[in-house]
Amino acid sequence: MQRFCFTILCLFLFASCNHPDYKNNTKKVFRYNESAGITSLDPAFSKDQSNIWVCNQLFNGLVQLDEQLKVQPCIASHWSISADGKTYTFTIRKDVYFHKSTIFKDSTRKVVANDFVYSFNRIVDEKIASPGAWIFNYVKKENGKYAFIARNDSILEIKLNQSFPPFLGLLSMQYCSVIPHEAIDFYGKDFRKNPIGTGAFQLKLWKEGVKLVLLKNTNYFEFEDTTRLPYLDAIAITFIIDKQSVFLEFIKGNIDFMSGIDASYKDELLTVNGKLNPKYKNKFQLISQPYLNTEYLAFLMDTSHTELNNNPVKYKAVRQAINYGFDRVKMMRYLRNNIGTPALYGFIPKGLPSFDTVKVKGYDYQPDKSRKLLADAGFANGEGLGDITLSTTASYLDLCKYIQNQLTEIGLKIKIDVNPPATLREMIAKSKIPFFRGSWIADYPDAENYLSLFYSPNFCPIGPNYTHFSNKNFDLIYNKAQNEVNDSIRYNYYNQMDQIIMNEAPVVVLYYDQVLRFVQNNIQGLGSNPMNLLTLKKVKKQ
Amino acid sequence: MLQFLLKRLFYGFLVLLGVITVVFLLFNVLPGDPARMMLGQRADINSIEAINKDLGRDKPLTTQYFNYLNDFSILSIHNISDTNNYWYLDRTKYTSAIKLIPFGNYALILKMPYMRRSYQSKRMVTEIITEAFPKTVLLAGVAMLFAVIIGVIVGVLAAIKKDGFFDRISLVLSAFGMSLPSFFAAILIAWLFAFVLAKYTGLSMFGSMYTVDDFGNGEYLDLKNLILPAFTLGIRPLAVIVELTRSSMLDVLSQDFIRTAKAKGLSPYHIITRHTLKNAMNPVITAVSGWLASLMAGAVFVEYVFDWKGVGVVIVDALEKYDFPVVMGVLLFISIILVIINIFVDILYGMLDPRIRLS
Repeated sequence: MQRFCFTILCLFLFASCNHPDYKNNTKKVFRYNESAGITSLDPAFSKDQSNIWVCNQLFNGLVQLDEQLKVQPCIASHWSISADGKTYTFTIRKDVYFHKSTIFKDSTRKVVANDFVYSFNRIVDEKIASPGAWIFNYVKKENGKYAFIARNDSILEIKLNQSFPPFLGLLSMQYCSVIPHEAIDFYGKDFRKNPIGTGAFQLKLWKEGVKLVLLKNTNYFEFEDTTRLPYLDAIAITFIIDKQSVFLEFIKGNIDFMSGIDASYKDELLTVNGKLNPKYKNKFQLISQPYLNTEYLAFLMDTSHTELNNNPVKYKAVRQAINYGFDRVKMMRYLRNNIGTPALYGFIPKGLPSFDTVKVKGYDYQPDKSRKLLADAGFANGEGLGDITLSTTASYLDLCKYIQNQLTEIGLKIKIDVNPPATLREMIAKSKIPFFRGSWIADYPDAENYLSLFYSPNFCPIGPNYTHFSNKNFDLIYNKAQNEVNDSIRYNYYNQMDQIIMNEAPVVVLYYDQVLRFVQNNIQGLGSNPMNLLTLKKVKKQ
Repeated sequence: MLQFLLKRLFYGFLVLLGVITVVFLLFNVLPGDPARMMLGQRADINSIEAINKDLGRDKPLTTQYFNYLNDFSILSIHNISDTNNYWYLDRTKYTSAIKLIPFGNYALILKMPYMRRSYQSKRMVTEIITEAFPKTVLLAGVAMLFAVIIGVIVGVLAAIKKDGFFDRISLVLSAFGMSLPSFFAAILIAWLFAFVLAKYTGLSMFGSMYTVDDFGNGEYLDLKNLILPAFTLGIRPLAVIVELTRSSMLDVLSQDFIRTAKAKGLSPYHIITRHTLKNAMNPVITAVSGWLASLMAGAVFVEYVFDWKGVGVVIVDALEKYDFPVVMGVLLFISIILVIINIFVDILYGMLDPRIRLS
């Protein structure tokens, strides 16, 4: 027993000793935390923001987005689109190489057009079951094969079924990154932890749940002026779950960058107007801009569902009354510290080029109009309407309660039903819930992405039309917009569709979200964009 | 002894079968679709079907159930010729498989249990368990060790000095320890020792068993990070052990054989260590074994607050994401551990108290 106790004591003494110091002050490492964790480094599974961010450092695609969300060349030096908008021809750069790896016998290999054919076919392969398979829905199938054609090593052709102007935006997604077939042949499913790409950084070590370290790719193909990118030597990602602990680490300067904000320290960091608390100005900066995320409440519109039989939300007047019945401006001020813009316009969020505050009119706070709508529909003061149940997850309970309170004043009785995320998602997809909370983050920077939620052929479960909204005029304009290559005409169509949605009120748009980035003062070049994509190749650290 | 072991192993087998059946049924009865959780907002029917096919969820429930049993069982039946067959003996899944009896295209196989891959991360469930479980074992083990050593010493002292000052104080403190909720204690202790007194203690608010440097050059065991979570986790069992040891000691001390020992002229130290303590330990061992077994299932709050990524964090995360193979794998693993601990404790009873016979 004595010997045992002695061993334990020794173990603790040993553990409390200082560890070898690996810090190298001359090298620059960028550190950030991923509370949600990273599930895979395979771009075929880059569904969540945390996976997208790390894949964006490791891989490249044909094209990339700049901070204004314009499509720019990446591995494709240039491209051409046929007059009918159905054929895209890309010219591949000749100086792009994969990361050095043992699969290339500690060497590397040049990227060729066939690598894209392989990578794209892998995304649509049923055996891979990638969540990004939908992005090639518009690609033509020839003899059962998708029309990704490598004309030679540097010419890649993609044929579409029909014109689809946002297609280049789709190709900028991380799903469309190029990977070498040798890596998949060798690692199989374990490519998820042995990624080989062309990105500015390459994997050094991934201790899952503890730390992920990426090192500079010294052979990266992009330059800024005459300097080869990236500037940083390494990226270190930690996985602390508790957001308060992350905040304390950031305050201590142990983390260089923090995205978003948690309710637990919201009031400490921000003023009521959403500005950075002045006491932190000397330590770090706040970068903020619109985020392509619309937060909303939605109604099931398909009256053939029995759930709507005696449900008040089947009446347009009731849906509009709810829309007019609460103050979005106050809601944002008191519950969100003005992070985000009250949604007084359409469903298309602020930050997209087709967002238009003049052409699209939504709903503001007009309780009298709300009451009148109800009275005209024969439900003065909400009498005879019964309860309306709003289903949500726990994280949005504060917003729902606020709306519930305000709607009580106009006579509408709202019951709130809190569900686990998996249950809520399943019930919405099966059209079992008449009134629910939702949000939509842009997959690609085009309003078509948002409007597809209301296109009738997209009824769930085939597509993302969860409300089962159906409007012939809307569908007609949607089809016209698909074939319109002129941006301004297409945006005009988008606005018309957005206005139809607002008039019919299948949704109660709450707010357009905002990107919040807290960055230490010694970090330069970390911009922001409405897709909230993290790009570190041009970041410098002093 | 052998008969006892075989009997307990058979019961253990029934427990595992029960766990598989209940978890399997729960996952299929409750609303929620893993494919939808994997796809997020873009869950169209084609992708859902592709994922369900990949996960084998396109088959009837009974088939899925037997497929899981077949994968998990050490003895299983697999196809050995057709690579497209669902039951094909894929060596990347069924490692170290040995063919026992071939019949036609199929064969009876002896293999390691295959617990499949996580729906969310595609990581092998065995890999997830082998990473998380040692952390939980270490945390639970150190917490219990701390509780047992301190608890027994304090309990014995309190019993010897019954109704004295030390006894009263230990009673009050143990009542306090028992009523302290672990999530509150965790936050309080983290704040006090790792934030307010961080300069003096040198402890951090969170940290894993291993620490990796920022350039990925070194990975070292960081047992310092274990101190606060183990202490927090040990508080409650400590309080219980103090009380149990004290009352059990008092009970034994009042028995005839102690009086005999005293009459024989044995020293008080000898009486306590050799005669009283050994006989008073049975209820303590029952409590410790039960507690240890439940700690093996993960101490969710403490693991969350101190960012100690053990079984508790893994299972809560998997439940949230509807990650069936991870939940099933972890629960089965925990069940196996519980079965083993129970058998071990039964044997230990017999060793400590010869009046108890294994049967």
